[in-house]
Amino acid sequence: MLRVLLFLWVAIGVNPFPASADHSPKIEIVGSTTVLPIASRAAERFEKFQRVEKFKPSHRLRILVNAGGSGVGIHSVAKGRSDLGMASRKISPSERKRFEGSHLKVHTVGVDAVACVISSEIYDAGIRDLTRQEIRDIYLGKIRNWKEVGGPDRKIVVVDKERHRGTRHVFMDFIFGNPIAKTPGTILVTGSNNEEQTKIAQSDSAIGMLSYAWVSDEVRAIGIRDKKNIVNPTREAIRKGDYPIVRNLSFITAGEPSGEVKAFLEYLKSPEGQQVVEESGYIPFT
Amino acid sequence: MMWIFAGLNLIFLCCAGGLFFFLIFESYPILKLQGIDFWLGQDWWVGETYGALPMLYGSTLVTALACLLVLPLALAVAIFTSEFLTSTSRRFVKAVLELLAGVPGIVYGLLGVSFLSLWIKDVFGLLDGNTLATASCLLAIMILPTVLTLSEDAMRAVPAEYRDNALGLGLSKWQTATAVVLPQALPGIMGAILLGIGRAMGETIAVMLVVGSLDRIPNPWFNIFSSAQTIPSKLGREAAESIGEGTHWSALMALGLTLFIMVLLINFIGNRFLKRRSIS
Repeated sequence: MLRVLLFLWVAIGVNPFPASADHSPKIEIVGSTTVLPIASRAAERFEKFQRVEKFKPSHRLRILVNAGGSGVGIHSVAKGRSDLGMASRKISPSERKRFEGSHLKVHTVGVDAVACVISSEIYDAGIRDLTRQEIRDIYLGKIRNWKEVGGPDRKIVVVDKERHRGTRHVFMDFIFGNPIAKTPGTILVTGSNNEEQTKIAQSDSAIGMLSYAWVSDEVRAIGIRDKKNIVNPTREAIRKGDYPIVRNLSFITAGEPSGEVKAFLEYLKSPEGQQVVEESGYIPFT
Repeated sequence: MMWIFAGLNLIFLCCAGGLFFFLIFESYPILKLQGIDFWLGQDWWVGETYGALPMLYGSTLVTALACLLVLPLALAVAIFTSEFLTSTSRRFVKAVLELLAGVPGIVYGLLGVSFLSLWIKDVFGLLDGNTLATASCLLAIMILPTVLTLSEDAMRAVPAEYRDNALGLGLSKWQTATAVVLPQALPGIMGAILLGIGRAMGETIAVMLVVGSLDRIPNPWFNIFSSAQTIPSKLGREAAESIGEGTHWSALMALGLTLFIMVLLINFIGNRFLKRRSIS
């Protein structure tokens, strides 16, 4: 017994990792699940870079990335609970007012489109585009069946997002002209991009909104029709500015960034960081 | 030694009381602003009005349904395990149950999203599988091991003489179990169910993933195959964006207070019920 204890003590005593790890600098990033892939990829690269360049372990920067949504990101950086917030929408006027004392600064790193998405079954049945008015009526509960917009005779599962989510703000701002529009037609409310993507994929008659980077074979993006003119959310259309529902992907600091946070933001804006943005499925911000 | 124990007891009491007063303090602004309308209102629009009725209704219905599903099953299995199984197999069954009782909510939640909601959608031919019924089934599965193993303990705790006497009087094994052991164990079983209700009412993540999170009372009100919202799920979805201050936070804390009072009330009623039984 004594020997075991002694061994444990020695093991703890000579182990150099815990002590030094606790003193190494660390930044915490919280917020939008749309921006999250950029942050976690960049964090990985950044840490690898430090290993390759043989930074001393005690000088290596550790980056912790957590989800939560744009609203959570803005709130937590303003309140000092994280070093960087991620947001996929603008800071709303009410948030600006509420966090006036925090001097929030926005650092944009990429551009993303919000696509109107539908279940693949409906897509295969022939729905490839909708007008703004049609989407509005679906979310208002005036259109309840796909056949009213030329689809199969099947009820529509209207998927909405939590009200503070960046994707919802941008989408509703385009559809209703109001980022916090009320949508009585809603059948399901989801949170992260991940959750919404899963639930739309599981359904065979759902409509929802997703970041362009989250579109998949089971969750198909459709075009926005304006009279005869249809704009699909393609890379080309987003880059040229033709697709109407776009937003900036940003990191947010309270006040001017400094130290490690500044270094990380500069990395993101460098060509290498912009490469990360592109690999995450978004358009670099230049 | 005695004093240390008494001190610990006091700390525990202070924690419970402190939590209660914290909730009251934090929810005061919204209750002052909206009064009784907070509980009667049906619309929850952040920044405008906060109505808790849909969440209240959802929590109550989901818990009640889960209990309805669990009760017959738990009783049947408890009777069988306690009265008819040999002690070796009984110990094995108990070990498995206690293992299940410790599985965290998120595991059940993910299973619910990947399987249960799809099954329910297919079996009942629904538009979508994220419904009150799905949440109730999931909760029933979650609280079943707890309710079961505690009910079984209660039945096991009935002294052996009761069984011997009953059997000696010529009652069959089945009659002994249902007419002698079960009534004696009833207070314990009731306690088990109350504990189950407590867990069901407070379960956040598993419910959040399958209930649909729609702040609306189903139409018609008994339509358990429509999506709805419960109090913990609402807190889980909205708390992080408003931590610490403002009307929104106060409204969420008032929801927490409501849940706290609901659990208190259920325990209180349960205790009264037990007392009356033991007196008669």
